[in-house]
Amino acid sequence: MDLTRRRFLAGSAALAAPLGLAACGGFAPAGSQASQAAGTLSFTTWGTDAELAGFRSVIAAFQQANPGTTVDLNAVPYEQMFSNIDAQIQAGNPPDVFRVPYYTFGSYAGAGQLLDLTPHLAQDFSGRFTDQAWAAVQNGGKPYGVPHHTDTSVILYNKTLLDAAGVTSVPTTPEGAWTWDQLLQVAGRLRSSLPGAKYPMAYNWQGNGVTRWLSLLFQADGRFLAEDLKSPAIDSAAGRAAVDLSKRFFTEKLVPANDSVKSTTYAADTWYSQTSAMVWGGAFMLPDADKTATFEWGATYAPRKVRGGGDFGGNALVATAKAKDPGLAARFLAFATEAEQQKTFCVGASLLPTRADLVQDGITFDVRGELTKVFLGQARQVRASDSGQVASPSMSKIITVLKDQLEQAFVGGRSTEDTIAGLSQGIAGATGA
Amino acid sequence: MSSRQARGEARAAYLLLSPNLLLLGLFVFVPLVGAAVISLQRTDGFGGGTFAGLANYATLVGDPLFWRSLVNTTAFTVLVTPLSMALGLGASVLLNTVLPARPVFRSVLILPMAISGVATALLGVLVFDENTGLLDLLLRAVGLPAVPWQSGSAAAFASVVLVTLWWRVGFNMLIYLAGLQGIGPDLYEAATLDGANRWQQFRHLTFPLLGASTFFLLIINVIFSFQVFDIVFVLTGGGPRNATSVLVTYAYDTGFEVRDQGYAAAIGMVLLVLTMAFTLLQWRGNRSRDVVE
Repeated sequence: MDLTRRRFLAGSAALAAPLGLAACGGFAPAGSQASQAAGTLSFTTWGTDAELAGFRSVIAAFQQANPGTTVDLNAVPYEQMFSNIDAQIQAGNPPDVFRVPYYTFGSYAGAGQLLDLTPHLAQDFSGRFTDQAWAAVQNGGKPYGVPHHTDTSVILYNKTLLDAAGVTSVPTTPEGAWTWDQLLQVAGRLRSSLPGAKYPMAYNWQGNGVTRWLSLLFQADGRFLAEDLKSPAIDSAAGRAAVDLSKRFFTEKLVPANDSVKSTTYAADTWYSQTSAMVWGGAFMLPDADKTATFEWGATYAPRKVRGGGDFGGNALVATAKAKDPGLAARFLAFATEAEQQKTFCVGASLLPTRADLVQDGITFDVRGELTKVFLGQARQVRASDSGQVASPSMSKIITVLKDQLEQAFVGGRSTEDTIAGLSQGIAGATGA
Repeated sequence: MSSRQARGEARAAYLLLSPNLLLLGLFVFVPLVGAAVISLQRTDGFGGGTFAGLANYATLVGDPLFWRSLVNTTAFTVLVTPLSMALGLGASVLLNTVLPARPVFRSVLILPMAISGVATALLGVLVFDENTGLLDLLLRAVGLPAVPWQSGSAAAFASVVLVTLWWRVGFNMLIYLAGLQGIGPDLYEAATLDGANRWQQFRHLTFPLLGASTFFLLIINVIFSFQVFDIVFVLTGGGPRNATSVLVTYAYDTGFEVRDQGYAAAIGMVLLVLTMAFTLLQWRGNRSRDVVE
């Protein structure tokens, strides 16, 4: 082919165009404001419509209470949230404040990227939160964030399918929750009454939800990290019991084969499609379930063994170590967890409060309000010793260990002993113990 | 041409090339060198890492998941490349003839190309979900056993291959179709006069004359296959039990989930070396092909 000038130019333009576009859109993290005026905070978060509405109302109230201050809300899709934050931190230009799940909090706090709030908060500040919530934002004994809200999983059930199996009543108090044995009996009855392609249960441990497997460990009164938050503690009778029980879910066909931890099908979708009769799910599911589920459904407590237990889900709000006005950032974090603000946010977004005064039946959800007490009751089963472990700086690595080892146990049929050994070794490797 | 003219042309050439070179340098070569440097470090991505020499590469050698991902990537490439080319060639030959409703068939085959990989994979999830997916529902409806597309290793791998084929056959067809339309009808007329049947015409005329298209598609398919990410990430997430873990999904998990960015960069470097080695081999092959033709 003869390379004429016109062809060359056309070719150059065609080659350069996508690169130019990439330069405009792809590599500049959204919301990386070059400079901030005094009294201005940048706040990056993801959120459902209800959550973002909640944040906007908190921001409006904060700006009203602090004339001359502005909070720039930068809402990004969850999928981009942490690659954005990481890129901004690496570039030395992070937002002042961002939202972070408790299980990711430790990796930022442990790497020295977050603001130590100790000098900025009132002496009695911690007293407004439950012990388990305050434990979830600690690193090396200091607070590096505020527990903005929490969530925990209860069992949502399809009433029609339970009735058909002769299960006509469910526990109505956390203390009266099904024991593991009772849960297996209920699941067994459902197994007998359901056709082969339908299942008694589905567990919501897919993706980073693998931390919800830890609820079973906590119910058996076990730990995955010792009190030093470094040494693995999963090699215990409680650890074995939790692995055994969750393996039985698969071997006895109590959950679908694609309900494993690395599956791309979420447990909730399995339940919505009536493939499973019960599902572990958080309060955040309520608005969705109200709209999506075409059957009669209710909620009961997660099971108990030695004690009740659950995952301390939800998110913290944190300020970055390089926040331009640390005092203002800390004031915003404190403001967002005041009673009225937290109540409005949690009620609207269907999430659970972290404040001690609100967890005692202090809120009622907008959607399916009568179920609020089930979630609040379940959240009270979480102990500070449980949530404190999840705040480990090594949690991101531990999550990968949990995913790999449990996948081998659930889908690969690996023995409980080998799984416990693998978990123990993996956790030690992750924490450097 | 005088030397002054030549210098002037060279200047113009560099001037015209400079935007591309600048962009390539900034967004390809600088990051590549950066990744090579990071692959020699131990870093969580925050602040400067610590120099670790070849430690990340040494870890790769003894990492079973790396080898599993490498084998999976290779198997995926070896399966998908010839299959998508053969199916693309078949479709293009069919659609190059006088077939009724030809534009409709062409559009149907090319349409997946217009959809992003993530959307394609999400459609794949609807088809291959083993509880509610279309395929297993159909299998059950005709009394056949359902296939464990998500919990069985071989079936999950097959689902990734099938979705990729659906996505990529149209592209292969398009390139072959363009090649076919460059072959003059007189050649076929001569072949018919010589008594060649349809198969002989295809084997000794069409296929050799499509050599340039085949070469281009081979390179592109291999590179695309080595870089496969979105379909695997969304459709199977690398599971079950790493049966569909490929190099890029493993590098992503390592870099962004575990935050071991040095190790992730080392995996990326291996991928780069493999892709370059293959391209070099093909390039040499192509030079000899030019001589033959």
